[in-house]
Amino acid sequence: MTKVVIDPITRIEGHLRITCEVENGVVKDAWNTATMFRGFEIFMKGRDPQGIWQFAQRICGVCPTPHAFNSVRAVETALGMEKVSDSARLVRNMMEAAQLGYDHILWFYHLNGFDYVNVPNTLNAKASTPGLKAVQDQVKAVVDSGQLGPFANMYWDHPGYKLPAELDLEVTAHYLQALDIQQKACDASAMLGGRYPMINNYVPGGVTQMPSIEDIEFYVSQMSVVKDFIDTVMLPDLLAIAPYYLDLAGYGKGVGNFLSWGVLDEKSQDPYDRLFPRGGIFDGKLELQKVSLDEPRQYTKYSWFGDGVGAGKHPLNVGQEPIDFTKMPPIEGEAFPQGKYDWTQAVRYGKEDRPMEVGPLAQVLISYLAGRPEAKKLVDDTLAAVGHAGDPTVLLSNLGRVAARVIKAKINSDNALRWADELLANIGKGETTVYQELDFSQTGTGQSGWDAPRGALAHYTKLSDNKVDTYAAVPPSNWNLSPRDDKGVRGPVEEALVGTPVLDPEKPLEILRTVHTFDP
Amino acid sequence: MEHEEMSLFPGLTRRDFLKSCGVLAGAIGLSGPMAVPRVANALEQLAKRPAIVWSCFQECLGCSVNLLQSRKPNPANLILKQISLDYHEAVMAPAGSQAKKSFHDIVDSKDFYYIVEGGIATAIPDACTIGGMTSMEMCKDAYQKSKATIAIGTCACYGGIQAAAPNPTGSKGVSDFLKSEGITPDKLINSPRCPGNADDTVAILLYALVKKQLPELDSQGRPKFLFGQLVHDNCERRGHFDAGEFVEVFGDAGSEKGWCLYKVGCKGPVAYAPCPVTRWNGDISWPVMAGGPCIGCSEPDFWDTQSPFYEKAPGVKLPGDITPTQLGVGLGAITAVGIGAHFIGQAATGRLFKGAPVEGMEDEGSDEGGKR
Repeated sequence: MTKVVIDPITRIEGHLRITCEVENGVVKDAWNTATMFRGFEIFMKGRDPQGIWQFAQRICGVCPTPHAFNSVRAVETALGMEKVSDSARLVRNMMEAAQLGYDHILWFYHLNGFDYVNVPNTLNAKASTPGLKAVQDQVKAVVDSGQLGPFANMYWDHPGYKLPAELDLEVTAHYLQALDIQQKACDASAMLGGRYPMINNYVPGGVTQMPSIEDIEFYVSQMSVVKDFIDTVMLPDLLAIAPYYLDLAGYGKGVGNFLSWGVLDEKSQDPYDRLFPRGGIFDGKLELQKVSLDEPRQYTKYSWFGDGVGAGKHPLNVGQEPIDFTKMPPIEGEAFPQGKYDWTQAVRYGKEDRPMEVGPLAQVLISYLAGRPEAKKLVDDTLAAVGHAGDPTVLLSNLGRVAARVIKAKINSDNALRWADELLANIGKGETTVYQELDFSQTGTGQSGWDAPRGALAHYTKLSDNKVDTYAAVPPSNWNLSPRDDKGVRGPVEEALVGTPVLDPEKPLEILRTVHTFDP
Repeated sequence: MEHEEMSLFPGLTRRDFLKSCGVLAGAIGLSGPMAVPRVANALEQLAKRPAIVWSCFQECLGCSVNLLQSRKPNPANLILKQISLDYHEAVMAPAGSQAKKSFHDIVDSKDFYYIVEGGIATAIPDACTIGGMTSMEMCKDAYQKSKATIAIGTCACYGGIQAAAPNPTGSKGVSDFLKSEGITPDKLINSPRCPGNADDTVAILLYALVKKQLPELDSQGRPKFLFGQLVHDNCERRGHFDAGEFVEVFGDAGSEKGWCLYKVGCKGPVAYAPCPVTRWNGDISWPVMAGGPCIGCSEPDFWDTQSPFYEKAPGVKLPGDITPTQLGVGLGAITAVGIGAHFIGQAATGRLFKGAPVEGMEDEGSDEGGKR
């Protein structure tokens, strides 16, 4: 038995340590440890409900927009506002679509790409175009300088890198190009929201102002470039890379339970009617179920919170005060872990206390099962391309998570332009109301579920007397990076790690791959 | 096929290179006939790309995400041609012990600039650890060995959001943390705002590289050449403030006309930042342009002192009560209204970073932070 500890897990948002026990070249057991705590629910207490979303969007600077949406929506529902105006819905959709566009590109190339694309190997390629030659020269200049920067010290000699040098070069070129493309999506968001990240045009009741026609045209021009890149570069890259890494279909299956609260509202503003609809999949059976925001329960036996704090409580009833003594277990040393090991509380769904996987794979599977034509076609085409036509169960794997991310990016960018058109049509019809005044002195409890790029995100709040009485957020990382619950059941990432092959415990590339597919 | 036509790494022509030097010179407050050659020489003489170690402590990664929105240079050129980003947990390829090796290799060389994003957990040190080191241990070690340190974003400057009352983890900004360890932060620059702004970061780095000294700082540790003037002073809605034209409720007639947001909570009259001048994401917009009030994110402890965000900033007098030039005596009794106004004056005419005209400027007097 070999103990493998990876800390920090890089190329993620969030501090994370992974501990694995490896036996005969396979992970036998695994623990994930979130290594940072800030205490949002504690300092959000007593604040002004109208501005609480400004706090909430700082939970994640990679995905502030869905936090902003859920926060304003939770406050709106607490004050009895069932829907926002149609134009406000469209502005919020356009903001979300821009944020998803940038995030998925960034994840695919910049945060996940190094697990599959060997940058130094690009020097062995025969560059087929002047553009590729220029990229190769640039990589050569960096290598010759002896200052490898972010590429230094990676396991580039690991035999798990399988792409031909020409493909490594091409995708490296796209890695650099994608740095500029992600800016286009961020600019589209910033034009409506003032800046990205940390937007400034949301407010409970709607949005602060109606974008001008010029703003909308700018949005369309930027998102058209994003869409073109996803269609003609990112999707082909996925299909070009996948055949070399079909082994990814063989591990990382996880818990087989999937949850999405849904994201991107259609005109009805019904969460089951969203572009990516709400739903759940249980016990690996590819059947679609309804889900409820009342069902998440939290456990703390293995978290640095008091044992009695969780015990199956609804998020709004869970204490968020850390226990007095916390000490991160040493990386070297005694057997790990004996007791509490995580700043994340274990979130489980329903009375069966199921751990749930959330994220693009959940969203794409649920869209597929809901019979959405775009999802159906893209999933079927992808399955055929990787030699598993007609068998979506193969997606319950690391390969599925990578593919789903790209499929979702495409569906999203296709529809971003549709919402811009709908908003222009509303302007044409004179439907320009984007804000409704609310009475913040009311008492009420509200909730909202709206998926972040990384997966299911819910916010809950109780308001009284113009103040936030209680606030709770259940972000996707709390699902995927759950530690063991009180019954000892592993969280989704921990479960997916079990069975992951490890060719060389000194260079645990395969463990990184499994963890990164969850975008933790 | 627009994506194929986009050049990834255009070989910079001499003309383009000098043009970008002119932009950079403007960005860091250099002017006069020698400005461009001086910047060009400094950049050409950098035998090694300056090494950067970037720590992410108690943060949301928003500052790093904004770094990816850098334009001059764009991120690919910044990372591959102008700096060597040797350690950044979200960007670097290696993980675990290999990532720690990168950190120690560079930090122990003492030949690097240190950038901190996020607050330092001091009351519960284990509320933020990386590779088994607490944020306190890591920050102290790297700061002491760095050539200079930039605290990016309001969290690294002042503790930021997690330091909002009651500050459950005892989060502190780098400056306060170092002081509590008995270290005088004499090579530290604060670059606040939430998120930290990419162009600020690049400008401060260039200032240090080209001028071989740190910029002049205000009482909050911020470079005067960036943070010398109130948001209010350069706001495009300022005329409406002076005319007494206010948005009363979002979506009202005044809102549609772009009137002043002061009555719905704008903290522009009490916040020092170049937002309306440099704008964000290149230069396409800034928070007030989106119709939302400024939340004062450049100010220390703004989560407590500038909120509620949708209520009027106390202490600001409206036109008729007092002359506009006397505004700004708001929270924290900020009296230094005029500090550095001339800097931004220079910036406002040429839009910092947007290619301030360099040729034909008067002399090199404005080389020095606060003088013109």
